[in-house]
Amino acid sequence: MLSKTIKTFTALVAMSALGATGAFAQESDDPIIIPTHNWNSQIVMSHVVGKLLERAGYNVEYTPTDSQAVYESVRLGDVTLELEVWEGAFGQSFNAALKKGGIVDVGDHNAVTREDWWYPAYMEELCPGLPDWQALNRCASQFATPETSPKGRFLAGPVDWLKHDQERVDALGMDFIVVNAGSASALWAELESASKRRAPIVLFNWTPNFIEAVYEGKFIEFPEYGKGCKDDPAWGPNKEETHDCGNPANGYLKKAAWDGMEAKWPGAYRILEKLSFTNPQIAKMAALVDVDELEPEEAADVWLDENEQVWKSWLQ
Amino acid sequence: MMLARPWLPDALLRPPAVLLLPFADWLNAFSDYLQNDLQLTIFTRAIADVVQFILDVVNNFLLGGRKGLGLPAVPWLTVAALAGLLGYFLGGTRLALLSGGTFTYLALFGQWKLAMQTLALVFVSAPAAVLIGLLLGIAAQRKRWLEVSIAPLLNIAQSLPHFSYLLPVVIFFGVGHHAGAIATIIFATPPMIRMTLLGLKRIQPEIIEAGRTSGCSPRQRLWLVEVPSARQEIMVGINQVIMQCLAMVVIASFIGAPGLGYKLLLLLQSLRIGDAIEIGVSIVLIAIMLDRLTLAWAYRVPEYHGDERFLVRHKYLLGAIALAAVSIAIAALEPYFYFIPRREGLSTGFLWDPIVDWITLNLFDPLQVFRHFVALYILIPVRDLYQWAPFSAVMLLYTGLGWCIGGRTCALLIFSFLGFIALSGWWDRAMITAYMITVAVSVCIVLGLTLGIWASRSPSRAKRALLLCDTFQTFPSFIYLIPVIMLFQVNDLSAIAAVTIYAMIPAVRYTIEGLRNVPVPLQEAVTSAGANRLQRLVQLELPLALPHIMVGINQTVMFSLFMVVIAAFIGTQDLGQEMMRALSFNDLGKGLVLGFCVAFLGLTIDQLVSHWERRRKRELGLAE
Amino acid sequence: MDGKTSGVIRCESLWKIYGPDPGGIFRKHDGAPSDEALKESGHIAAVNNISLEISRGEMLVVMGLSGSGKSTLVRCLSRLVESTAGRVEMDGQDLFALDEKELIELWRHKMGMVFQHFALLPHKTVLENVAFPLQMQGITPDVRRAKALEMIELVGLSGRENYFPRELSGGQQQRVGIARSLAVDPGIWFLDEPFSALDPLIRREMQDEFLRLQEMLKKSIVFITHDFDEALRLADRIAILYHGKVEQIGTPEEIVMNPATDYVARFTSEVPRARVLTVGSFVVAGEGDGVEPVAKDTPIASILRRIVLSPDARIPVVEDNGRHLGVIDRNALLDALFG
Repeated sequence: MLSKTIKTFTALVAMSALGATGAFAQESDDPIIIPTHNWNSQIVMSHVVGKLLERAGYNVEYTPTDSQAVYESVRLGDVTLELEVWEGAFGQSFNAALKKGGIVDVGDHNAVTREDWWYPAYMEELCPGLPDWQALNRCASQFATPETSPKGRFLAGPVDWLKHDQERVDALGMDFIVVNAGSASALWAELESASKRRAPIVLFNWTPNFIEAVYEGKFIEFPEYGKGCKDDPAWGPNKEETHDCGNPANGYLKKAAWDGMEAKWPGAYRILEKLSFTNPQIAKMAALVDVDELEPEEAADVWLDENEQVWKSWLQ
Repeated sequence: MMLARPWLPDALLRPPAVLLLPFADWLNAFSDYLQNDLQLTIFTRAIADVVQFILDVVNNFLLGGRKGLGLPAVPWLTVAALAGLLGYFLGGTRLALLSGGTFTYLALFGQWKLAMQTLALVFVSAPAAVLIGLLLGIAAQRKRWLEVSIAPLLNIAQSLPHFSYLLPVVIFFGVGHHAGAIATIIFATPPMIRMTLLGLKRIQPEIIEAGRTSGCSPRQRLWLVEVPSARQEIMVGINQVIMQCLAMVVIASFIGAPGLGYKLLLLLQSLRIGDAIEIGVSIVLIAIMLDRLTLAWAYRVPEYHGDERFLVRHKYLLGAIALAAVSIAIAALEPYFYFIPRREGLSTGFLWDPIVDWITLNLFDPLQVFRHFVALYILIPVRDLYQWAPFSAVMLLYTGLGWCIGGRTCALLIFSFLGFIALSGWWDRAMITAYMITVAVSVCIVLGLTLGIWASRSPSRAKRALLLCDTFQTFPSFIYLIPVIMLFQVNDLSAIAAVTIYAMIPAVRYTIEGLRNVPVPLQEAVTSAGANRLQRLVQLELPLALPHIMVGINQTVMFSLFMVVIAAFIGTQDLGQEMMRALSFNDLGKGLVLGFCVAFLGLTIDQLVSHWERRRKRELGLAE
Repeated sequence: MDGKTSGVIRCESLWKIYGPDPGGIFRKHDGAPSDEALKESGHIAAVNNISLEISRGEMLVVMGLSGSGKSTLVRCLSRLVESTAGRVEMDGQDLFALDEKELIELWRHKMGMVFQHFALLPHKTVLENVAFPLQMQGITPDVRRAKALEMIELVGLSGRENYFPRELSGGQQQRVGIARSLAVDPGIWFLDEPFSALDPLIRREMQDEFLRLQEMLKKSIVFITHDFDEALRLADRIAILYHGKVEQIGTPEEIVMNPATDYVARFTSEVPRARVLTVGSFVVAGEGDGVEPVAKDTPIASILRRIVLSPDARIPVVEDNGRHLGVIDRNALLDALFG
């Protein structure tokens, strides 16, 4: 530890002696710390990127981190980067961290994200007209439980995901009551139970996600998202309310980094800027673990072997 | 006041907004002050580096790798063999099988790496917690002011939900393996302080005088006389520390601790319940093994070997060296005995999934009726009642109860606990928590007492029931959540069911202990008076065991408060859910205030029950 | 016997007051708070203005019932407890003037103490327990082992050096306690009810053993007991304590013959006098009639048979050195026993 401190110290001295030009900035031996979250595509992606950085000569460490709290950790430099900033889920935390400083936006992946109301395929038989939201609303009573009866029950994500489902239900005048699950696991447990019994269910889901590989299903089509829907009441079908639309069907998936990363590991930062994954690539990463039951590290190796042409250019 | 509700002013129904105090803002300001003005983070980060370094060394020893000392890992066969020998040394064949068998299980099921990461965390956190606890306990015994000021802090610390510790740790120590270790240390230290203090206080004064008249300097007296004399309590403290460490395994993974806990959450996330249960079994095995080993160590009576021949005297040491050499040689020849990767390990996952499927398919519909009934006729009315009750009436009721049972101090404490909740602005959420706890604890009492009475009727049954209690207590409660949701969906009933499963453990345990510890002469007296089994139970055993059972019920309340926070992962609207939200948004102040609210709910009940129990024990002449 | 004039231990006006403000109440009443004043202010004087002297080689038995302050007194004398006021001298050294270091030195070399509940260290063997005070002095293991073995032999526990306290009976444990207290060869020996926790037969055996030891070692002893019989058997002098005050101090005989207060008399009334009284108390001038003389220290019990069986004999009494003192006054003796 002492040696590490000394090393950091001398590196700092060297950097300040050479001035802020960064022309002679040295690549640090310190490990680049990559956070892993609690969904498998992200963990595999982290290992894919980690292994790439190792091939480029960097030390890499992984640390499990909460997916919201991670932005604070990136800001403080406790973790070096973040590979999956979902517009819908983490945009707010990311923007808040940007405002506080210490974190930088390193560009978007090719992949787009979508998070919205979703149903398993067998529901189309039970409720004709899906995926249209008005058709869903007509079948609302099928989704009722004792607590929500006679209204239907929509199983939403945890409250801290801030999806404004209640506002949408109100704005569109739907006969649904929003029930918040406490975790993603809770969503999948209900989905698993319901689809085993082919019971009606409509719940919050997103893509890319391993669920696509296990269950067939579709997103509900709400009035299409447009700028102004969330803050301008005049926008959309309901002229008095905001949130009268679905979530963006093409949300961004960003990369972010600690603002000291570029100076400390310039080469690694270049790689981070270049790399970009597509929806099918991410889905494949998830499936390697969730369907083929590989360990994340193994899955990363498999993916790297199969996709050399994808990542080769990033390392140059 | 309940009846007069319609005429009460609003200010007595809900805590008026003008009175609410921004505790959370104060805490955040304080935290900012510590971080930015005092630069405390420089200090805490230095500690974090030290902890990380120690972890690296331990990790390196167990798993090999570049970090730490850069040594190759010890083969699993060696670890299992040495653990078996240690078990034999401390407790004979059964313990040898348990400890050797646990490590063999971990290896064969391909969980070696995860388990070693978890063990590294325990091996670093537990000694640190023991050391800190021991020193603080000693200091508190020396300095009266410290003892007086540390007692309430310990009470609060032991009733704060695990999650409350996480945010401050993240802010001051960062995230990662070391942060998990530090959170675990903080969580595990209080019982050690308590047991050290208790042990030191229980030493006969004569022993201390014997030390003084033998000419001990104060330091000699402490380390050669007092600490060894308090050995049993200190060992029980160490045992509790280890149990607390394992209770934190899953939760520590929220802030970056790798290992079994992290894997468990991931598996649950992708609904691989069978694999998750396997991990749960690993955690239980590790916990029970460490528990039995430390207990065997605690109660081990020293033996004298000074006059035996060298070979005999050092037989265990020599045996260990021989075992290590042989097992390393075997592992060198056959890599299977060195390390078994996950994919080559055994798995019973395929067994469990059909069971879970069968349960969902076949039990869901029959339970539907039950679910509707409970939701409509029990949960919703109770919930509404708790929400409807004026806060002033609730406070008055409990303060009054405190006055009757425990006198003025007790009443004052309860008033300030509930007052804090009211002024913090979380009264409504706290009432939801209170309602869930009330229902869960009521069910626990009915079921737990019944089970406990049934199990206490024969010694062997009692023993098996207690082992089951140990198992369930260390089984990671997160695993219950998934099947419960599958059966009851996301709603309060699921949360209450999950809480009930976990919180029933102490109710059962203490009922068994209480009933089995009724003094034999009394039992004989009642039997010779012609009482049958039922009469003996009702007339003698239950009344005498009741104080102890009440301790169990008190624990049940504590357990249910811990679990209700975890049940937020199902989806609730109570304090626990808000705490998760605070955690997500790095709101340290809010997280702590919510933690205090939960702790104060628990402490209110604790005040009432423990005062009653102490008084009752005195009346029965059972007090120490 | 110069010891009679300069005590090995002397205490003067020793006070130990318990309560909210012991020092305050003591000063307020100019060093002599009355019983009422103490009681009113919620204080208790466990040691109430006690002055004593123990000479070299003398055994003082402090006798009192529970709550009489006897345990506190011995702790004040050994400075295990800080006294409220007064003075204790040990070989002329002011005990209260010692700082902690000097006090530890004093304990290491001059004092030994035996406790009611043995107070053995449960994690150490018999040998290690006995050697413990030597270990504290920093003596090398070999030397302290030899010395400890010697002590163990002295108390008759040879062969059990490597037992742990829990493996011994109560009597054996107290032998370990005695051996430990003697290991540093202390000049002064405190025994706090050493035999109270033992059953009666063992207690008797231990008393004999103790007398044998004292015969050999000639320590200056403060021995605490609540058992008047024990006090009579062992003591050179007895101090009877009641509510923290010395009711009477004197030889067993003086106390039995002339109880100073009603409280003392309540103990002495039941005492079999023949065991306490010695021949010396019943001497009148005269010449013996040729029968075998008896020493003046002989307890009456041991010659009672002769006196009763030969009513007319004139039994001569002699001093230790054989000088003739007189003859036994038969009538006075029988009056004392049965009158």
